[in-house]
Formats: sequence, C-alpha cells, structure tokens
Amino acid sequence: MITARNLTVSLSGKTIVHGVSLEARAGQLTAIVGPNGSGKTTMMKAVAGELPSKGEISINGHALASLEPWQLAVKRAVLPQAATIAFPFTVREIVRLGLTVGPNRHAERIDAITAEALAAVDLAGFAGRFYQELSGGEQQRVQLARVLSQIWEPVLDGEPCFLMLDEPVSALDIRHQLTIMTLARRYCEGGGGVIAVMHDLNLTAMFADHMVMMKSGRIERAGRPAEVMTDDAMEAVFGCRMRINGVPATGVPFVLPHTASA
Amino acid sequence: MSLNDAVRGKDARGSFLMRSVQSRAAGDRTAIARLTLVALVVVSAVALALSIATGASDASAINVIGALLSGAEDTALSVRDRIIVFDIRMPRALLGFLIGAALAMSGAVMQGLFRNPLADPALVGISSGSALGAVLMIVLGASLPAGVMIALGAFALPLAAFAGGLLTTLLLYRIATRGGQTSVATMLLAGIAISALAAAITGILIYMADDKQLRDITFWSLGSLSGMTWAKLFAAGPIILLALLVVPFLSRGLNAITLGEAAAFHMGVKVQRLKYIAVVSVAAAVGASVAVSGGIGFVGIVVPHLLRIVIGPDHRYLLPASALFGGVLMLGADMLARTIVAPAELPIGIITALAGAPFFLWVLLRDRTRNGW
Repeated sequence: MITARNLTVSLSGKTIVHGVSLEARAGQLTAIVGPNGSGKTTMMKAVAGELPSKGEISINGHALASLEPWQLAVKRAVLPQAATIAFPFTVREIVRLGLTVGPNRHAERIDAITAEALAAVDLAGFAGRFYQELSGGEQQRVQLARVLSQIWEPVLDGEPCFLMLDEPVSALDIRHQLTIMTLARRYCEGGGGVIAVMHDLNLTAMFADHMVMMKSGRIERAGRPAEVMTDDAMEAVFGCRMRINGVPATGVPFVLPHTASA
Repeated sequence: MSLNDAVRGKDARGSFLMRSVQSRAAGDRTAIARLTLVALVVVSAVALALSIATGASDASAINVIGALLSGAEDTALSVRDRIIVFDIRMPRALLGFLIGAALAMSGAVMQGLFRNPLADPALVGISSGSALGAVLMIVLGASLPAGVMIALGAFALPLAAFAGGLLTTLLLYRIATRGGQTSVATMLLAGIAISALAAAITGILIYMADDKQLRDITFWSLGSLSGMTWAKLFAAGPIILLALLVVPFLSRGLNAITLGEAAAFHMGVKVQRLKYIAVVSVAAAVGASVAVSGGIGFVGIVVPHLLRIVIGPDHRYLLPASALFGGVLMLGADMLARTIVAPAELPIGIITALAGAPFFLWVLLRDRTRNGW
C-alpha cells in the first residue's frame, strides 16, 4: 500500500498541493482525476519521490525518505507524461532500459520479458524499429512496456509493486485505451497496485476501484466511482453542470458531455 | 517463440562470423557492438605500432628492436634510432592515443549527461577554463617565486590547465545546481558565459605577454602532439587513465538518463552522484589532455556520433568504443600532421578542426531536418 499523509508540495515558492492524504491499495486501480492544473501530476511526482514535499509518504510501510533509489525502483515504476529521446535507440533497447534493476536484470530473462512486455502493449514485432520513428501513441506504449518490465512481477518477495501512470491513455486510440486499461486492471488482479492520472471519466468509471477527485491542490471527493461520480461532484470539481447516467443493466456510471449546460 | 526459433535455426547454419554479426532478435545491437569493440582493439594496436614505426626520420623500429634483442654493440646509428623510437615516437604515440581516448570519451559522457548529441567539453567551458589556466601559467609563471617554479618543473603547465578546468567545472556546477538539482539548460548557458569570460581574460594576458610568451601561447593553443616526453606522459597519463577507468562504471546511469533525469531516478539511479562523478571525471580527463596538447577540437563530437550510427547509443559499449576510436583517430591525424609537410609538421589541432568542423555542420543540418530545429 502507498500512503501519503498531510502531503504539501511547493514549486518555486508556490504551493501546488495543500496537505492531501491518499491511500493506494494493492489490488486496486486508483485513479486521480480533476481539471487541468489541479495538482494531479505534482501530487503523483511527490509520491514517486521525484519532488521534495512536506508530509509523510510510505510504500508498503517503508518511509519513502528511508529508501535508496534502487530500492524504490523495484517497488514502483513511473510512466511520465511525455518523453523525448535525443539518441537513436531501438524499441528493444528502450524497453531493456527498464530491466537494469531488480531480479529482472538477468540476461536470460531480459529477452523473454522484453518480448512479453511489447506484446502486452500490442507492439509485438516493433522491437527492431527506431523509437524516434514511431507515432506519439506508439512511443507512449513503448514507454509503458519499459515501465511494466521494470516491475514485471506484480508481487515481489511478498510485497506488492506499484505502477504510477501519468495519463497513460491520453495519446491512444480507443482500442489501445482499452488494451492499456485492461493491462492495468490485470496488474491489480495479479496483486500489484496502479495509480493513474486520468482525464477520461468514462474509462475511469469502467476500470477504477478507487477514484480521487482533485481541485486546486486539494482532494474534493474520494471513493468508489459509483459513489463519488455524482452531478454535484462534477459541478464542484470541474465547474460544469453535467448529468451522471448509469447503464441500467450494469449500473456502471458514464457521463455524456452532451448534457452539459453552462 | 516460433520466430525466435526460426532465427536461431538460421543462425546455426551460418558461419561463426554471421552468427556474431546477426543479432539474435530484431533491434538488438549487442553482437555488433561487441564485434566493433574487438575490431577497435585490433585497429588500436595496429595504429600504435604504425605510429611508433613511422615518422619523418628513417629510423626503423624493427632495426632498433632487432639490435636490442641481438645484444649488439651500439653503433652511432642505432643510438640515434633508439632515441627517436623510444624517447620521441613512443611517448608521443602513447600520449596521443590517451588524449584522443580522453577527448572522445569525455564527449560521449557530456552528450549522455546533457541528452544532447552536440554537447562537448568545449561547449560547457571546460576547455576554455583549462586554456586560461595554461595561459596564466605561461604569462605569469615567471613572476612566481623561483622555488615554486623549480618544484613544479615540467608539471607547472599541466597542473595549471588541470586546475583551470576543474575550477571552471566546479563553478559551473555551483551556478547550475539549486536544491540538489542540476539544470542542463542553465549549465549550457553558463558554459557559454564562462567561455566568453575565460577568453576575455586570456585576451588580456595575451596583450600583456612578451614575444616569447606569445609564441608559446600561439603554439600551445593550436594544439600539437610534438614535444611529448616521458615526463609529460607520467604527468598527464595517470589522470587520464583514471578517468578512462572510472567512466565506464557510469554506463547504466547514463543510459537511464537519456530518458530524462526524473526517469533515471525512477529507474533506480542516484542522479546527483552520477552527475557529480561524470563532471569531475570529464574535467580531469580534459584538463590533463589540454594541458599537454593544447586545444584539439571536435574529436569529442565526431567519434561518439559515428559510433552511435554503427553500434547504437548504449553507453556500455559506446564509452569504451569511443575511447578506442578516439585514440585511433588521434594517431591517424598525428601521422598526417607529421608527414604532410615533413620534415616540418602541422599542429594537429588544425587537422582535427579542418575535418571536424564540416562534420559538425553536417550533423547540425541533418538533425535540423529531423528535429525541426
């Protein structure tokens, strides 16, 4: 479990995240949603250890500050929003970069995991292509394959591992959005945990176990999507009056932008 | 799996060479990289041997070695040849190789660290800082207490250049680092400012210099491998060798940092420590090189770039291959420098700049179309 308590993050003297508390359990997909600039990415970067912050953060009971980078790297992997690479790496070489720490760095496993990770993001056969020649969505999936291979086993030595994904499906077509969300879901079913910053509320409702709604650096609502996705929450968080609907057969909520009123 | 098996089956029928060259799986350049390294080791040995065996004089290394082995009495001729081979050509070849290796590997490290294929020790001001240190010593050395100069002896110039390079690097690092984070953009821009400042101070010193000092500065700044002695080899060699041995341990971290510093941290790299070791190693290698040979440009950009095309950007192979290829190129350039206008010789810096500057422009133009600069 990843927990953050009283987390405050300031960038260049400006406070972006105001004393939030968060729990991301193993076996669950935790989605963070909210309007642009609400502090989603900043909060996730702080939890990943990338930004200095005030408050307590722990992974599986270990205080974040007490862990060395290589110890963190076998417990959690982070997918950034965008990555540009200046050198001509092939897809295989990029994925292999994820396999330099932990138990997966052993040569005999690298080829197998690389192939499986690429197949998992629907890029089988792309290993020999140059990263820079791929489309934005393909590059995003290569990065996901790299991140996935870093913590390939959802549970390592009895401790769950966590995928932290910043907008994992933002550049993807609808089919691959489903592929990637299903992949995240399976990672949770395998015993790992996923924290994802999301913009697509319908995908979030379909796949998330726990939904955190942020606004202006604070958590406005948190809970199961079916509980927190209400008309009032939409207006309070996104400042936009919309009606939440449910498909009667399954009861999974979805939101129609058509119902927006000023 | 079936694809892999098919590829392996095909490999098994091929020759040994084919098996080594053909990567087991698409996008895997490990085999080519290893083969290139082996080839470069062989070429390096040949280049060193050629460099020692040939020169403006007709002294024959084979005759000298033959005379030594047979234990024959020294004739006047073989004494002259021995001096040429052992005391002139050999330190020159070894030091030339080391300097080429240091410059090329430093270029590869800087490019990896700054995630920019055009980064170079000269670009962030390390070379200018070393140059300022050396010029300071040439012009102001005479006014130092005599005891200090006698104690330093032949080491005075190398030490001054090394100190200049290291001080520049530390200053640069101080300016670009805030709250434990080094900003690459600030570092590059600060490098430009520091270079300009160092050049201005060097200009003042040149204005103050007398005729003999001016001549020293001019020859030194053109870059040359002439006048290499065992003393210079022992002064600069160990520093360069140490840097060459330390830097390969940074390969994994440099690979990770190509995805960005945050990504490298997420993958388990101690980013600040990596940057610190890389920058100090480069300062040491470049400072020591500049001290003995003056400004020799473009080796640090040309060598890693060509190698990346063949073996890819994986630093585990790129760093040692750059060192070997840099050494070979430097010896090749030096052989040209010695023979084109023999018995006189051209400063080697002119040759590397003549070949390197157009190459740099070619890379710039090529990348401009690709990256939309």
